[in-house]
Amino acid sequence: MTFLAPAAAALAVTLPVIVALYFLRIRRPTRVVPALHLWPDQIRDRQANVPWQRPRFSWLLLLQLLAAAVLVAAALQPALPATASLAPHSIVLLDASASMQAKDVHPSRFDEARREIGAMIDELGPQDRMTLITIQTPPRIIASGSGDHDAMHRALGRLTVSNGSADLSAALTLAAGVTRAGEQSRAYLFTDGIVEPLHASFANGLPFPIEYRRVGVSGENVGLMSLVVRTSAQSRAAYLRVHNFGQQARSLTLEWRSDAGLIDLRALSLQAGQAQDLVLPVPDAAATVTARIDAKDNFALDDSVTAIARTPRAFRVLLVTAGNRFLEQALRLRTDFQVDVLAPTDYKGSTAYAMTVFDRFSPPALPDSPFVIVDPPSGSPLAGGKAVGIGRVRASDAGDPLLTNVTLQDVRVARSQDMSASRFGRALITSVQTPLVLVRDEPFRQVLVGFDVHDSDFPLRIGFPILVQNLSEWMLPPSVPGHSFHPDEPVTIVPESGATSVTVVRPDGSRRQLATGAIATFADTDLLGVYTVEQTAGGNTDRSWFSVNLFSDAASQLAPVDRLALPPAKAFPSPQTTHHGFLGIWPWIALLALVLVVAEWLAFHRGL
Amino acid sequence: MDARLLEPSVLRRLDALAVLVRRAVKGQMGGERRSVSRGRSPEFADFRSYTPGDDYRLIDWNAYARLDRFMLRLFVAEEELPLSLFVDLSGSMDWGRPHKAQTAKRLAGAIAYVALASLDRVRLTVFADGPTSGGAPYRGRRAAQELFARIQSFPVGGPTNYSRLVWPIARQRPGLTVLITDGLGESPIEPAITALRLARQEGAVLQLLAPQEIAPDWTGDARLKDAETAAEREFTATPATQAAYRTALAGRTQEVEDAARRRGLRFARLTSDQPVEDMVQRTLRQVGLLG
Repeated sequence: MTFLAPAAAALAVTLPVIVALYFLRIRRPTRVVPALHLWPDQIRDRQANVPWQRPRFSWLLLLQLLAAAVLVAAALQPALPATASLAPHSIVLLDASASMQAKDVHPSRFDEARREIGAMIDELGPQDRMTLITIQTPPRIIASGSGDHDAMHRALGRLTVSNGSADLSAALTLAAGVTRAGEQSRAYLFTDGIVEPLHASFANGLPFPIEYRRVGVSGENVGLMSLVVRTSAQSRAAYLRVHNFGQQARSLTLEWRSDAGLIDLRALSLQAGQAQDLVLPVPDAAATVTARIDAKDNFALDDSVTAIARTPRAFRVLLVTAGNRFLEQALRLRTDFQVDVLAPTDYKGSTAYAMTVFDRFSPPALPDSPFVIVDPPSGSPLAGGKAVGIGRVRASDAGDPLLTNVTLQDVRVARSQDMSASRFGRALITSVQTPLVLVRDEPFRQVLVGFDVHDSDFPLRIGFPILVQNLSEWMLPPSVPGHSFHPDEPVTIVPESGATSVTVVRPDGSRRQLATGAIATFADTDLLGVYTVEQTAGGNTDRSWFSVNLFSDAASQLAPVDRLALPPAKAFPSPQTTHHGFLGIWPWIALLALVLVVAEWLAFHRGL
Repeated sequence: MDARLLEPSVLRRLDALAVLVRRAVKGQMGGERRSVSRGRSPEFADFRSYTPGDDYRLIDWNAYARLDRFMLRLFVAEEELPLSLFVDLSGSMDWGRPHKAQTAKRLAGAIAYVALASLDRVRLTVFADGPTSGGAPYRGRRAAQELFARIQSFPVGGPTNYSRLVWPIARQRPGLTVLITDGLGESPIEPAITALRLARQEGAVLQLLAPQEIAPDWTGDARLKDAETAAEREFTATPATQAAYRTALAGRTQEVEDAARRRGLRFARLTSDQPVEDMVQRTLRQVGLLG
């Protein structure tokens, strides 16, 4: 047996103090009674103010001494050697991702892992420290190098499981960061093994070995893996995918409903491992549609999915040009654009357009909104230097998402304004001589093209409409994207022009206010379900929706991983030592003390 | 001082009461009580044969005409009731709120007044360690104030010794004896009650307690001091000790009641917070001592 708090032995001084108190006499007030012989012979000192009296045997004294001795024993925190093998610094990595909500172990994988970690905390020795990190996106350090059992238990008890994925790489990087040089550390990974693939480079190994503690036993699960609504000229339909990840055939009922009510109920039978695609009707008036299955399996997060059925609102785009069929056609490819074409002489400026494209024309005052200006005439504020011959073009950054699927290899430009001195923004497409296409984010997303598209074969290449599509989507993303997001995935929301307030109502009814003046990134998407974006402009409130669904094959697969590929531990100059944990028995001793105190109370009331 | 013992308004209401006895009594002087002796009164009692020496004025001549022999008409004699009051003024009575001894004096005064108003003879004795006579017997309503003054003059204190009441009780002429006491002395009350029986007394034991001794209103540590013997003892009051005390008190009062009832005495338990008028009008009428 080990005592975790040997200094508490000093409390034993209370024992002689209790005895001394019994040796003191109390000063008793005199009370005259009519018949003393009727009163029982009962003397007990509860208060001392005279120095000495003859000691007497007292059951109360005995019980009080026993209770005090047991309390002192509990304060010493005696502990028995436990079976766990702990390092001086234990780094506990707890998977808090969606798959840990599976209930194949009672009450859930996450709670089972917490229970095991709680037992580990109890077994920490007086010199041991523990760091607790949750594996989620992003990972979080819950407690760092703490030896306080109570604080660790409290921190553990406050943890909640997320609906997102488990970023093990980031969690291991964090864990490596909290390890001190030369410290004897050991990591304990509590997970079902359903984590994102390791992406960080751990080639040099981690400064600690990792023990994988698998949580979970079963992969039986049927999940709804995707739901999209497609609109054609004739009708709208939803496409739903149901997948049985388990080893047994399952029969279940699919409930298909819109925000207006139930649409259909279908009975489904799925063989082990079978996936089934369904096409489901979507009523014209539906804003959202929801599919739900009564799978009665171990995992509920993928049993209900929601999609937005309402078509996005169109943007008004103005093309100011003396004539440019290439640009006009490229802009009209976007179905949610309503393109108006205006001659430069007719342009008077308007705030009614979400985006304006100026072709070889520059207005006296540029609009405070997204715009594209192509080959600005000399003398205008954005005009470059004199024309230079170009030839081949290239991307400034081949990995720039604005150039996704855009091929520039066979593009030639005859001439362009010299934009070398332009401070408009960063170059997107450039040449040896000068930057050709520049983009900037502030104050609005805007594009400057230094050459007339007619002086290039670019409009004849497939890359041109794709570039226009990419740039227009970047400049005018849908105000609220209508597709489904994964949990914790950020959502870009573009406030409507003139919007005075933008509020996101989460599935649980909580509201988040967003800034109105700029494009906002909304990241509180941890809950599954439909999010409503309310934008108020001119006294009217416009509502749009986006949905968050699990849609994760990895999480729905659910079967815990037997062997998890983990980074190796570094070679240590000295061997890593571990010791047995401690099994604290002080709570039981404290309970005994409580029993003794109750016995003392009973003895007092029975006049012992 | 007399006026303080019993208020005039109380006395006026006591005028309507009388001390009740279960059987006829024999007193020394005429009174309003039915006597065991035959005497002059309107109430016919019996006949008996004439013997020389009898008062010939009592011969029933109508009976002589019918029976041809002398018969005497006998009438119920009405005599006074000898009432003896024994009042406990020991140290244990010097206690309580209201004060037990003062309440006992008022109660004795009230019973005495009822008796005096009925032309009964009242003898007063107070006792503690021994009996102390209250003087010559009192008779007549006018003696009430004298009796009140006398009863007020007695000091309170000392131990209780019931056995020393045996002689004064035993020498009583048959009549009614009322013993007012708390019954809490260390010596047993049994000898005094037995003496009442042997003296052919119609008796009544009135046990008077204070509310604070029935339900003690204090707890904690104390040095207990006996009101009679001044003996002291250290003590810690707990719920358990209070319960033990109440059990002992109940046992003691039950002993007193059982002893009284076994010997055919009337018994009443009174508390000092009970108004004397209420004791007399209600409790003593219920037990048949007054009517």
